[in-house]
Amino acid sequence: MPETRSYDNALKMAFPSIVQVGGTPHRAYSRFLVPKDLLSTITRYLHTQPDLRGRLTLLWASDHRPTREAYEIHYLFTLEASHHWVVLSIELADTDRLFPSITSHIHAAQWYEREIRDMFGLIPEGHPDLRRLVRHEHWPQGTHPLKKDFHWNHVLERQQGEYRFRHIEGEGVFEVPVGPIHAGIIEPGHFRFFVAGEPIMQLELRHFWKHRGVEKLFEQLTLIDAVLLAERVSGDTTVGHALAYCQAVETLLDIQVPRRAKYLRSLFLELERLYNHLGDIGAMCNDTAYSLAHAHCGRMKERVMQLNDRLVGSRFLRGVMQVGGVSWDVDRKELSNIAQELTDIQKDFSEVGAIIFANASLTDRLETTGVLTEQIAWDHAVMGVVGRASGRDCDLRRDRPFAAYDELPVNVALYRYGDVRARLRVRGDEIHESIRLIREICSRIPDGPLASEPSKLGTPGDWTLAAVEGWRGEILYMVMAGEDGRIQRCKVRDPSFVNWPAIQWAVLGNIIPDFPLINKSFNLSYAGNDL
Amino acid sequence: MFRIIKKSLKIGVVTGRYQRAERPTIPVTPEATERSRLFKRSLAIREVDTGSCNACEMEMNALLNPVYDAERFGIHIAASPRHADALVVTGPVTINMEGALKDVYKQTPDPKIVIALGDCAINCGLFKGSYAVTGPVDRHVPVDMSISGCPPRPAEILAALSELREDDATAER
Repeated sequence: MPETRSYDNALKMAFPSIVQVGGTPHRAYSRFLVPKDLLSTITRYLHTQPDLRGRLTLLWASDHRPTREAYEIHYLFTLEASHHWVVLSIELADTDRLFPSITSHIHAAQWYEREIRDMFGLIPEGHPDLRRLVRHEHWPQGTHPLKKDFHWNHVLERQQGEYRFRHIEGEGVFEVPVGPIHAGIIEPGHFRFFVAGEPIMQLELRHFWKHRGVEKLFEQLTLIDAVLLAERVSGDTTVGHALAYCQAVETLLDIQVPRRAKYLRSLFLELERLYNHLGDIGAMCNDTAYSLAHAHCGRMKERVMQLNDRLVGSRFLRGVMQVGGVSWDVDRKELSNIAQELTDIQKDFSEVGAIIFANASLTDRLETTGVLTEQIAWDHAVMGVVGRASGRDCDLRRDRPFAAYDELPVNVALYRYGDVRARLRVRGDEIHESIRLIREICSRIPDGPLASEPSKLGTPGDWTLAAVEGWRGEILYMVMAGEDGRIQRCKVRDPSFVNWPAIQWAVLGNIIPDFPLINKSFNLSYAGNDL
Repeated sequence: MFRIIKKSLKIGVVTGRYQRAERPTIPVTPEATERSRLFKRSLAIREVDTGSCNACEMEMNALLNPVYDAERFGIHIAASPRHADALVVTGPVTINMEGALKDVYKQTPDPKIVIALGDCAINCGLFKGSYAVTGPVDRHVPVDMSISGCPPRPAEILAALSELREDDATAER
């Protein structure tokens, strides 16, 4: 791609001391080695230059001991106009444990850098907030699970400690702690509100209650077997995570996925999007006490999940992805049944939608509630459903097509107001679009094999990136091959990890009773965030 | 208004439109059945997630949709452990959630039943041995009943819960 090369050359012209490394053509990113002291300048340039506008998409570290006495830290940026990926890498050699923090000019780096500090013991110099993130206070000092000398089944001791929340003090200011166990059937997380009267002045999240050590567990598995674990990173995104993982491994092992498998992958991904969006719309209505809409949406969601169960024997579509393709075929008769059933559901949903949107009291609750402005969405690199409701026009299915999306153009839903209603509308539009795509898949799916067999084990130390637009947003996997077909390092990034901090801004000025509604309209995963 | 009524009439009753599940594979202890007799036809459940992948939560939520409608069997979800007869615990117990689980157990009034829902709660599943997981639920609080599956289907959860009220005439038709 000549266009890509021109970006790379511009970057090399601006910063002569950076070195471009290993770009095999099928790895769709350019990578540069950057001297540590230049990192801040280059990231600022990439992020702010009007013709580049790099959005920080992933930031991860890897421990290269004992092969090499070094840690590496990588910064992945997506360029706004071309959707090209640029990776900047720095190396901390020997006993160096400090790396420059970029949080002061790229807010999106904030949690990533704290995560690296917790998991690797590397210190982001100049980071404004060095409290623990993943490791709660009772973890002993010096425990950094992703270091290579930390054993995966190490039994942790306990110590005393207290997390210090940011405080607002003054007359009439109240502090409201909520969680980790909530009133509904939802996952654990802690929210700390400061209110003066009704409006929220500040919200602080305290997450990672569900940290299960997923990334360390990946390192105990082989490249082929770890699909099972990827499916269980976040249960409601079973297909999205498994697919992103499989794509990364397929690039590492040079596997060409058959076309039929690509279509089936898109089919399963859209079915997952469909049942989640249907459930979300119902749940948002429920949080305004509008139980009629909740009942209808719950019924339709159940219909799609039962359809999943009939198709593959799992309501969550578990066990259908495998490295090299899919492990389950859907025959012609079933495909036409799906198309028929979804046409019914679409009609059903349109009727329910007409009822929902004609309801003035619902509109009153949703409009101007929990506004996330486009500027804040950009600053925090927000994407997915939440981003598209705040005017961030990004969808990997269109921007960096994977599976069968290169042959299935997607119409991307986009709203600008950034309120709860916009997030509801994005989901509504995407339901129609998903059904359209599934019908398209059912009529265009080619015949052929379901999977290609892997023929090699992967070169130790070789790594790659893969991304999938799940129903929440961009799911990213970085997989590095190890010895004997094992995994050396696997970085998992659910869209929730990026979108959670943004909710702290969306709630400001709203009242606490609206928080459940705002939270539901984001509907982020705790499991995928906490890993 | 007419649109709403028309829609409701068109859809009709969807409750019960699911495939019935077999009796659960893991039997309930006699003590738990004995204890549950006290709750008669009503069972207030508090759900506690100690580190699941959230699929079990989704299926618990599905129990309340019009298709399964667990409330018709007197099963409802309490907002606080202090109002609960039974705790449903999902997921392997993570090191960060262990304290919260023990607190919830203490806050639930006696007599109570603890139900481990899903394979992770029963034996930690794929997360067994991880540094961040301190064991299955029964290592921390006594478990009376286990419902296996990854995740168990809502119909299976209903069938298992109706075991607690077997002598009851309203057991699932």
